Amino acid sequence: MKPSKAKQKINLFRFSFLLLSICACILVVAGCQPKPASQTPQTATTQRLSIGTTLKLRTLDPADSYEQASATWINNLGDRLYTYQVGTTKIIPQLATELPKISKDGLTYTIPLRQNVIFHDGTEFNAKAMEFSLRRFMENQGNPAVLLTDIVASVQATAPYELTIKLKQPFSAFTALLTFNGMCAVSPKAYELGAGKFKPTSFVGTGPYQLTKYAPDSLKLDIFEKYWGEKPKNQGVDVQFYNSAGNLYNAFSTGGVDIAYQELDSQQIRTLEQQAKSKNWQVTSASGNYVTHWVLNISKAPLNNPEIRKALALIVDRELLAERVRFGQSEPLYSMIPSKFEASKPVFKERYSQNAEKAKQLLTKAGYSQQNPLKIEVWYPSPSPNRELLGNALKAIAQDKLNGILQLEINTVERPVAFANLRKGIYQTFLQDWYADFFDADNFVQPFLDCRQAVGNVCKNGASQNLGSFYYSQQMNQLIDRQRKELNPEKRNQILRQIDEIVAEDVPYIPLFQNKDHAFAQANIQGVVLDPTQQLPLWGIEKR
Amino acid sequence: MSRSKALQSYIILRLLLAPLMLFTIITVVFLLLRATPGDPIDAILGPKASQEAKEIMREQLGLAGPIWLQYLNYLKQLLNFDLGTSITTRGETVWKIITDYFPATVELAVFSMLIALTVGIGIGMMSASKPNTGWDAGGRLFGIITYSVPAFWAGMILQLIFGVQLGWFPLGTRFPVTITPPPTITGLYTLDSLLSGNLTQFFTALHHLALPSITLGILISGIFERIVRVNLKQTLQADYVEAARARGIPEGRILVSHALKNALIPVITVLGLTLASLLGGAILTEVTFSWPGLANRLYEAISSRDYPTVQGIVVFFAAIVVIASILIDILNAYIDPRIRY
Repeated sequence: MKPSKAKQKINLFRFSFLLLSICACILVVAGCQPKPASQTPQTATTQRLSIGTTLKLRTLDPADSYEQASATWINNLGDRLYTYQVGTTKIIPQLATELPKISKDGLTYTIPLRQNVIFHDGTEFNAKAMEFSLRRFMENQGNPAVLLTDIVASVQATAPYELTIKLKQPFSAFTALLTFNGMCAVSPKAYELGAGKFKPTSFVGTGPYQLTKYAPDSLKLDIFEKYWGEKPKNQGVDVQFYNSAGNLYNAFSTGGVDIAYQELDSQQIRTLEQQAKSKNWQVTSASGNYVTHWVLNISKAPLNNPEIRKALALIVDRELLAERVRFGQSEPLYSMIPSKFEASKPVFKERYSQNAEKAKQLLTKAGYSQQNPLKIEVWYPSPSPNRELLGNALKAIAQDKLNGILQLEINTVERPVAFANLRKGIYQTFLQDWYADFFDADNFVQPFLDCRQAVGNVCKNGASQNLGSFYYSQQMNQLIDRQRKELNPEKRNQILRQIDEIVAEDVPYIPLFQNKDHAFAQANIQGVVLDPTQQLPLWGIEKR
Repeated sequence: MSRSKALQSYIILRLLLAPLMLFTIITVVFLLLRATPGDPIDAILGPKASQEAKEIMREQLGLAGPIWLQYLNYLKQLLNFDLGTSITTRGETVWKIITDYFPATVELAVFSMLIALTVGIGIGMMSASKPNTGWDAGGRLFGIITYSVPAFWAGMILQLIFGVQLGWFPLGTRFPVTITPPPTITGLYTLDSLLSGNLTQFFTALHHLALPSITLGILISGIFERIVRVNLKQTLQADYVEAARARGIPEGRILVSHALKNALIPVITVLGLTLASLLGGAILTEVTFSWPGLANRLYEAISSRDYPTVQGIVVFFAAIVVIASILIDILNAYIDPRIRY
């Protein structure tokens, strides 16, 4: 007998409720499962590594990649002409077979190339392929193209395995520049030349790993069996992207990933370090090429007065800040150039060792008092818990040491807005984190201090304007040019030290920290090494 | 005019109005994005780039020139069903982003909705069937609290308790990176794993889905609880219910078989509206749980001022809401003969 319409409706409702209840039960059952797969450390038979990170990947196209988020993966997927010996700052050939032969005028670099190298798609690597890769880097006009276009006049395959690069002007850091991740060899069959022609979700290079999966929240790097060099010690790498440091912290501490790398907050790093012994975690840290500066906008009063800038430099107690703000995870920085470089000279330590009395004198002389305090805005881009802490600590130091003569007002602004406004000179002072593109002292000097167009001593168009200091000095420009051309390392270091002296006198920037990079690994992981060049070589890591 | 004809013309009118609604949304989103402070070029290049490099990129990405020209170009693109290319990734089309990320959002939304309906209707029924008791007060309180608690906060608390402290659920993401996910058939991991007959993958996917969908589902359930409670209470006082009682039909059967079906009709209407709030809640839930869905991608695109991606995703979401609300209106008209147009 056919059921009535009303009965059918009732049955439908009953069925819906039954279905919903089943779903709810399934969820509950799922919750009662044994430890989730993601939280269970893999067995020894699966030698793949899992790495968790919060740095969101924008692109894997080497010609368009200019950020830390992609550098690590490109570094492991591709080879460049030169690289750094793992754990050191020594440049060694990678796809080149020896260091470049440099012509006497410093303009022509002749580079012999490795043979029997193939790309992940089976294409043969040769000088033509390397010429294609470097030309693509420049001609496709990706974010970092300017690194080469400003310097290189031509790239040419002058023999099947010989590349000749001609420069527009001598540049002593050029070999170091060739270690930049984006300058890796890419298959001419897989990529195209032409402005804007990018492939953000694929990678075809010559490195020890090949990209087998690019998903919204993960990457899979498998071993490239035909790699020319030593094979990786693991069977591949799975990368998991997390939205927040909190997610990464929780995932690592509950065993969800083998390695947690970039970026955890200072507080989380401290907690993991404290628990490392009891939980058998391994902590690897290295001071890298990542620095923090206090940028002072010299284009506007009162910071156009060098004495005020010096007063600010005098209140900075880096040791205290490193301890209180970074919990010892950063080293004080007293020079524009990190201490890893021989050229580094601790000029700010010599001139401005925290001296509140002298700061008070300078401010009083400039007309400030408790009744008429100097008010300075300190801006930082959000979200940045570390810089928030730093700003508040600076504010507290100023209050504590200067009896109200100096008042710091801490403000935050969204990142895209911050970068747009910096060059407009909107911010009085700014807390700026800086990652160097390649490991050379020039990268800590030229982008901060160079400016060729100015009105008076205020930069109108140049690198220093982009960073918001508006610093201009003819003498500085000349010194930057001289160190770039100087091929003798000792003489070059002398020029760089001169630059540091001038910065300490003019104080457009107050160097604060050289930051340490951290990687946390579970107990069964071996071989985690952090390069001073801020790279994590994955091929040497193995799982017990 | 007969009822079916009235319904037909209503549907036609709604379908004709849909493009107009979408056009309005497209225009508002386009203008709002440009009014928001922060330049995408600065967001992409950061402070290292020179002014020249920025100008070149602006030209390349079609962000140079007056806004009205950019707007016309955008409309022209849309007429060809081209949502453009992401300006941050430079090479990924917005359609590809949508197809890559949307299945995760659908899966989260479906399970959240199931939980919301189960919990909301259940508590609403309990509340309405025991009026002016502690159960009723508890149900009302539940409705108010769940409706007002922010999704990200609830997500963090649940993560902390059930993920970190108790270790019952995985912390974020959709599937363990160390395990191969099910083959892509629909893009919904739970469904795909069932279709490919892999129960381990099914339970793994469900395990990852549990905490975010419970968070979102519970928060949305408050809406249903309140609607069911109010409507069921009214229905239980209706004459036909009284008549059923007089016939000696047991109270439980009256509640489920007689009253509930009528009380649920407004729930269907609210389902459509809830879809919009579900997507809004999904942004916060996906961000909190590192869920690789379209809402999470939208958040990233907004943060980096990726105009084409934001516009594309918002228009896509808007289209879904418009289509869903039309379908629900039709469904409503079909199942409830009292509705007139």
